[in-house]
Amino acid sequence: MIAALLANAHALPVGVKVLIALVIAGVVVPLRIARYRRRRARRTGAGAPATAPAERPRTTRRSVLERVVSRDVALVASREVRERLRGRLFKVGTLVVLAVVAGAILIPRFTSGKATPPRVGVVGGLSAEVRAAVVSASRSAGTAASLVSEPSEAAARAALERGGVDLAVIDARLVLVKTALTTSDASTAAAVARGVATYLGDANALASAHLTPQQAAALRGAMAVPITGLHPSKRHRTLADATTLMGIILIFIVLQQYNNWIIFGVMEEKGSRVVEVLLSTVRPLRLLTGKVLGIGLVALLQAAIILAFALALAGAVGSTILHGAQPLHLLGIFVWLILGYAFYCWVYAAAGSMIERQDQVQAASFPLAVPLTVGYISAIIALSGTSVSLYSQILAYLPPTAPFMMPALVGLGAVTWWQFLASALLCIAATVLLARGAGVVYRRSILRTGTRVRIREVLARSA
Amino acid sequence: MTPVLELVDLHRRFGATIALDGLSFAVPSGQVVGFLGPNGAGKTTTMRAVFGLVDLEAGEVRWDGRPIGARERRRFGYMPEERGLYRGMRVGDQLDYLGRLHGLDAPGARAASTRWLERLGIADRVASKVEDLSHGNQQRVQLAAALVHDPELIVLDEPMAGLDPAGIDAIGEVLTEEARRGKGVLFSSHQLDLVEDLCESVSIIDHGRLVAGGLVDELAHQGSRRLVVRVEGDRDGAWARSVPGVTISESDGGASRLVLDATTDSDAVLRAAMAAGRVTQFSFERRRLSEVFREALT
Repeated sequence: MIAALLANAHALPVGVKVLIALVIAGVVVPLRIARYRRRRARRTGAGAPATAPAERPRTTRRSVLERVVSRDVALVASREVRERLRGRLFKVGTLVVLAVVAGAILIPRFTSGKATPPRVGVVGGLSAEVRAAVVSASRSAGTAASLVSEPSEAAARAALERGGVDLAVIDARLVLVKTALTTSDASTAAAVARGVATYLGDANALASAHLTPQQAAALRGAMAVPITGLHPSKRHRTLADATTLMGIILIFIVLQQYNNWIIFGVMEEKGSRVVEVLLSTVRPLRLLTGKVLGIGLVALLQAAIILAFALALAGAVGSTILHGAQPLHLLGIFVWLILGYAFYCWVYAAAGSMIERQDQVQAASFPLAVPLTVGYISAIIALSGTSVSLYSQILAYLPPTAPFMMPALVGLGAVTWWQFLASALLCIAATVLLARGAGVVYRRSILRTGTRVRIREVLARSA
Repeated sequence: MTPVLELVDLHRRFGATIALDGLSFAVPSGQVVGFLGPNGAGKTTTMRAVFGLVDLEAGEVRWDGRPIGARERRRFGYMPEERGLYRGMRVGDQLDYLGRLHGLDAPGARAASTRWLERLGIADRVASKVEDLSHGNQQRVQLAAALVHDPELIVLDEPMAGLDPAGIDAIGEVLTEEARRGKGVLFSSHQLDLVEDLCESVSIIDHGRLVAGGLVDELAHQGSRRLVVRVEGDRDGAWARSVPGVTISESDGGASRLVLDATTDSDAVLRAAMAAGRVTQFSFERRRLSEVFREALT
C-alpha cells in the first residue's frame, strides 16, 4: 500500500500527504534523537569517570532495535517480543481473532453465494411477453433467472413442491410460489416473482387498453423523474463507515488486550521479584520503555497479521467487505492505533507497578478503562449519527478519547487535515508528559511490596 | 591496588523507621565479607543502596574511590533476598538475557550461561522453565544469574536460605573461589557458623549502624578470654556460678563455656573446678562469631 501511495504521491489529497509526513516524522525524529543522545553520551562518557573501563563489549552485530533505541531498551523489548510470540496467549488469541475475521468475511459471502439464479416454470407457452417479464424482473433483482417449460399447471405445482422450480407463471395470468410471500421476504426468488407479477399485470392492463404497440412501448419505457438529494446518499457513505467502524473496533480490541498484557506483565515482574535483579543493572525508565515498546511491537504485528489476512481472504473469495476503504481512513486508523497505544501503555504500566497480585488487577485497571470505553462508545455513536455534535468534537481533541473519536470524524469526513494534526500533536504532547509521570510512579512503586501502593502515597513521597 | 566497595555514612529512613543511620564499612576485593545483623537492622536496604534501588538521604557508595554509577553497577552481580526470575522463561534464555543486560554480547552470554550451569551441576536443565525446577536448583540458577557476567563485586542477600547442606556447600565453594579470583564478595546471612567458616571478615550492623566489624580472626581474639571446662559429674557448670568474675556463656554436654573478666585469674577458676570434681578438660578458646554477634548487639 505504501509503495502504491508513493507511486501516486502527486495525486494524493493534502490530508494523506500530511499523514504520511506525520508517520515518517514519528519514526525519523526519535531515531535522530536517539542517535544524537548516543553520540553525546559517547562524547561526555555519560557522566562516568573517564578512566573507567568501558563495560560494553565489542558486539559483533547489533539488532535493528538496538540501532533505533538504547541497547538496554532494545534488549528488554526483544525479550518481550520473543517471549510473547512464543506464548500460547498470542498464538491462541491471534487464531481466535483470525477465525472471527474469517467468519465476518466468509459468512456473508457464503450466504449470498447460495442465491443461485431462480428457475421459473412456464405453463401455456413461452410467449415473448412472459420471456420479457422474467428477463426484466431478473435484471431488477440482480440475477438471471432460467426458464423451464411445464406441460400443465399440475406439473408446475409438482415441480414447485419438489423444488424443481422456484416459481411458475401460469398462462401469463398467475404467478405460483411454494410458500406465500410476505412483505419481509427479500429473497431473490421473491423479488423475481414480484417483478414478473407486476410486469405481467402491466402488460395485461396495456393490452386491455387497446393501445398500439408503439404506445405500449412508450409507456413501458416511461422512467421516473429524477430524485436529487441535498447530501450524498447513505449508500455512498456506508462503505467508508464500515471501514471506520471496523478500524475503531480494532483500535479498541488492540488497546484492551495489550494494555492488559502490560498491566499483567509489570505486575508479574514485581510479584516474582525479578524486577529487583533487572533494576540492579537497567534504569527504571528504560526497563519500562523496553517493556511497552516490546508489547507494542507485538500488538502492531498482530494487527498487521489480522489486516493482511483480512485483505488476502477478502481478495481470494471476492468479498466486497473491504471495498470502499479509503487510504486516508486506513492511514488515520493506523496512526491513531499507534497514538492510542502510546498514550495508554504508560498509565497501565504505572498501574501495574502499584500492584503485585492478580486479584488487584481489576481495581487498578478499572479507572483507566473508563476514558477508553467512553471514547470508544462515543465514537461508535458519533459514527451512526447524521451530524457531528460539539461533544464529539471536544472528545476528538482530548488525548484519552481522541484515538477513537478522531478516526470516527475522519470516517464522517468531518475533519480537516490541520484539525487531525492538532489533535495528534496534543496526544503526543500528553503522552510525553504521561510517560514522565508514569516513570516516576513506576520507580517509586515497583520495589514497594507487601501491600497495594496508593497513588497518593507515591505522588506525595519525596524522591 | 585492588578496588574496594566503600559505604560512607549512609542515611535513609522510611516514615518513622530509621533504616540506615550513618552506616559505613568497606568490602575489599579478594575477600568474602559476611554482612550480619538482626532482622530489620538495615542489611537489605544497604545492599539495595549499592545498586541504586534505594534513594539515600545522605552518604555515598563508592567503588575504587569514586561514586558508583550505572556503568559500575553493570560490573556488579546481585542476588536479592526475595529471589527473582521469570518463572515461565527457560533457564538458558534467562541467563543469556541477564548476561546481555550486563553488557555481554550474545555469544559471550551464551557461553557464560553454559559455563555456569555446568559449574553448578544443572547443565541438563538449560531448556527447562524455572518454575519446573526444585527450590535448590532455582537457587542455583539465581546464583548463576548474579555471576553470569563475571562481575567484579558480588552482593548476595541470604544466598543460603532454605538450602540443604549440599546446596550450601556448593554455593559456599563458588563464593570462596570467586574471592580467590580477586572478586569482592558481600553476603548476608543469619547462619553465623556458616559465615564464620566462609568469611575472612564481617560487618555487623544494628539499627542502621555498624556495631562491630573486621577480620574474623581478629574479632575472635578480641574481647574477654574464654575457657572451656569439663568437670566429671557436673552437667551445667553449677560450680562456676560462685566463682567471681566468671560468666557461663553456655553449657553443652558437660562442657561449660566460661567468659572471664579482665581481672579474673584463670588459676583461680581451675582451682574452683578441681574442687568441684575431676577436671577432664580445661582449655582457652577463641570467641565464636555467634558470641561476637551477641556481644555486639548488647
